[in-house]
Amino acid sequence: MNGDMKRVALYIHLPFCARKCAYCDFVSFPGQTDRIPAYLDRLAREMRSAVGWYGPLAADTVFLGGGTPSLLSGEQMKRLMGDVGRFFEIAPDAEITVEANPGTVDAEKLAVFREAGINRLSLGVQSFDDGLLRRLGRIHTAREAEDAARMAAEAGFSNLSLDLMYALPGQNMSQWTDTLERALDLPVKHISCYSLILEDGTPMKALIEANPELLPDEEIAVGMQHEAARRLAERGFSRYEISNYALPGFESRHNLVYWRRGDYLGLGCAAHSLMNGIRFANTPSLEGYLAGEGAGEADVLSARDVYEETVMLGLRTREGVEAALLPPDRLARLCGAGLMAVDGGRARVTEAGADVLNAVILELV
Amino acid sequence: MAKTQETIRNFCIIAHIDHGKSTLADRLLEATGVMARRDMTEQVLDSMELERERGITIKSKAVRLPYTAKDGKTYEFNLIDTPGHVDFTYEVSRALAACEGAILVVDASQGIEAQTLANVYMALDHNLEILPVINKIDLPSAQPEVVKQEIEDEIGLDTENCPLISAKQGIGIEDVLEDIARNVPAPEGDPDAPLQALIFDSYYDNYRGAISSVRIKHGTVRVGDRIRMMAGGREFDVTEVGTYRPNGYNPAAQLVAGEVGYIAASIKDIADIRVGDTITRTDNPAAEALPGYKPVLPMVYCGIYPADGANYEALKDALAKLRLNDAALSFEPESSVALGYGFRCGFLGLLHMEIIQERLEREFDLDLVTTAPSVVYNVIKTDGKRMTIDNPTNLPPATEIDYMEEPYVDAQVITPQDYVGAIMELCQDKRGTFRDMKYIDGGRVLLSYDLPLNEVIYDFFDQLKSRTRGYASFDYELKGYVRSDLVKLDMLLNGEMCDALSIIVHRDRAYARGRSIAEKLQEVIPRQLFEIPIQAAIGGKIIARETVKALRKDVLAKCYGGDITRKKKLLEKQKEGKKRMRQVGSVEVPSEAFMAVLKMD
Repeated sequence: MNGDMKRVALYIHLPFCARKCAYCDFVSFPGQTDRIPAYLDRLAREMRSAVGWYGPLAADTVFLGGGTPSLLSGEQMKRLMGDVGRFFEIAPDAEITVEANPGTVDAEKLAVFREAGINRLSLGVQSFDDGLLRRLGRIHTAREAEDAARMAAEAGFSNLSLDLMYALPGQNMSQWTDTLERALDLPVKHISCYSLILEDGTPMKALIEANPELLPDEEIAVGMQHEAARRLAERGFSRYEISNYALPGFESRHNLVYWRRGDYLGLGCAAHSLMNGIRFANTPSLEGYLAGEGAGEADVLSARDVYEETVMLGLRTREGVEAALLPPDRLARLCGAGLMAVDGGRARVTEAGADVLNAVILELV
Repeated sequence: MAKTQETIRNFCIIAHIDHGKSTLADRLLEATGVMARRDMTEQVLDSMELERERGITIKSKAVRLPYTAKDGKTYEFNLIDTPGHVDFTYEVSRALAACEGAILVVDASQGIEAQTLANVYMALDHNLEILPVINKIDLPSAQPEVVKQEIEDEIGLDTENCPLISAKQGIGIEDVLEDIARNVPAPEGDPDAPLQALIFDSYYDNYRGAISSVRIKHGTVRVGDRIRMMAGGREFDVTEVGTYRPNGYNPAAQLVAGEVGYIAASIKDIADIRVGDTITRTDNPAAEALPGYKPVLPMVYCGIYPADGANYEALKDALAKLRLNDAALSFEPESSVALGYGFRCGFLGLLHMEIIQERLEREFDLDLVTTAPSVVYNVIKTDGKRMTIDNPTNLPPATEIDYMEEPYVDAQVITPQDYVGAIMELCQDKRGTFRDMKYIDGGRVLLSYDLPLNEVIYDFFDQLKSRTRGYASFDYELKGYVRSDLVKLDMLLNGEMCDALSIIVHRDRAYARGRSIAEKLQEVIPRQLFEIPIQAAIGGKIIARETVKALRKDVLAKCYGGDITRKKKLLEKQKEGKKRMRQVGSVEVPSEAFMAVLKMD
């Protein structure tokens, strides 16, 4: 492999899903799976033009996100990964992740995915409580999620991650700890815990607006976050990013590129990129993307933007940001309040600081 | 000359708010042909956008209407429009002094209201001939006979030939015009006597400078005359005189006794023209000024600050522009630890204050932070010196104060009988002293109270409205100063005093007020990284405490798939919000908190 080649993280957006979840406002389109072949054609063309523009690119990580990428058939996945391999130099130890919905995989499909070169599976479990899963609008049960995880392990996915959600409407602490324990009983290396965000226009937001009492109060939500950190730490998972926990060596290399502001190239409808200090995104319209619409307006970042991004993204991680970058008086005040700590020239948020990360960031930008 | 006077009719229209004064004025303009219907915007005399929206007249105006009556004579009507609000009582009295008659408009379904009475009494004080007119007879709820009876009983006016009209529908307008020609007395006055011109309004014209609206009581004024303001003392050369047309000037060679018109004299500062002052000629000066002049003093003060400190100069320019037209507005630079640099502004009353704030925001597109209004207190210090205080921050330490005095008003409330109890309770709450109660007619009562002005400016109107479901009407007039046990109430945020939140309050009310302000602040100050104690204190003694708890959990925006736009947007929004906050020590206080202390319960 050519050592001078530009190295990027590759993100590929697959905006197809079986059904829209109640909380979801991502760019994803239910019931359009017949358009996957055309979409894969368009992706291949986009890959060609990307390397035409940037020159040869080497990918250390590939992430297939969605939507529900696991809606692709085994054959479709093979074709997509074939194209990726044809246009990009994939490192031999590359981390290649696909997001999967437990309701869309079986042993056979998982085996083909593995064959296609996928080596990390991120399962969207969200909860191990069937009542909550229904409320979220998920298409699978808790049992199906556990089965999917075990099947994935059997298919050879040793690097398995689960996504979980907390602060859900009607969720209590014991439901949450039960979900955490059931996740830890599975052969997983990485767990993401996301607090529910009520996005405008989603059925979930409408539900909460009509029944605000369903939402766990703030103290309980904070407690859930702390409980996750505590239980996961006991089992060797460390919190390397505000929402992500991993066993040593299993941190998501791909996601770390985002937080470190490394170069990443996003392919597909609505995919975002940061290349050479310029941010841009593809059209969120599936029609537009298929018709060949390119990226929209590029965002050339000022020094101020770069600083703000560095703080905003860096403080999410255990690595933190270089302390010397931050205004010393503000930093001292935040440290004094127990919200931040400085060690080895790096400034990071403490657990208390992580609880109020937005407010901490706001103090520093 | 006397012949000219014989056909002049100087009159105004008085009415309670909403009883249709401006609409009637429009119809009179239309019927006398000075304005064609198609040229009329609704309510021509109320030309300011705000006036139209609020349905009140803020400044006086005068317009000349020619009218050929049934007796065959052509009359010259001078309609003087008067401000319709209690803040402008003095201006109203000067406008009335320029007239011989007043049309009293009474709503056929509402009947007499507090302002109606106040205006009638004032008109009677000026010996005006009052012509009652019953308006809105087209409404289904109209009871013209009942209202006529009420006018006879309560005011003692003859209503036998009183026009029944609908200004809106244009019914009965001719009757009003005939009534004016027949019953408003012609002006008197000697054109050859020394000049006495009563200033009843002033305003600024970009080409002519500050202009006096005048009623010539005696004498004659011509272009080129040298004139003197008898109270103000300054002298000017007259550059133009004339009468008013709607939306314009009608220059003339002279104005003579009995006429209403304007005098321009290249006057730069409107403060040189004082409403109520008398203009005379230097070559043959009048021996004395016309009676009734009072210097206009602001009654209510508040701090006005630009929300963005960078707009200080813009605010200053805007205030100066408004001041060009409004001699009653005063402003002086002041600074606050919490709010930075701004202005202490003086107003005739709460409405005047609101109008100025709104005009600053609308016409000059300024974002403002305003502090709670204050009245003017007299402080008598232990060393015997007197001082006046319009900003609580400037109050000397308690040890240097012998005693203080606060302004009281003579308040009149007219209310349906059912609410008498509620209003008495309210006035009691507001430290009022009961004076009198009169039954006006079967259903209604006139209550008179002495009230401290500082209670009137503190949510009295809102309370009155809510406790009487909007049925009571209210009018007041400054009565004088009364010795009172007042204290300064300070608010501390995280242990630091916030000067812009201090108020002066009666000792008996301090505890309750301190508690409610602390509670209100606890509601409006958003949670921050640190816990914020809010304390109310009198002279260092804490009387109330609330806490804004520290922020516990942020909702994090997703950064899925490397899409950080949501996160950035959230950050931008939060930064914007933060910009609108005022830093008080370590605490961020939203702008609205400074006014919120006013609106309680």
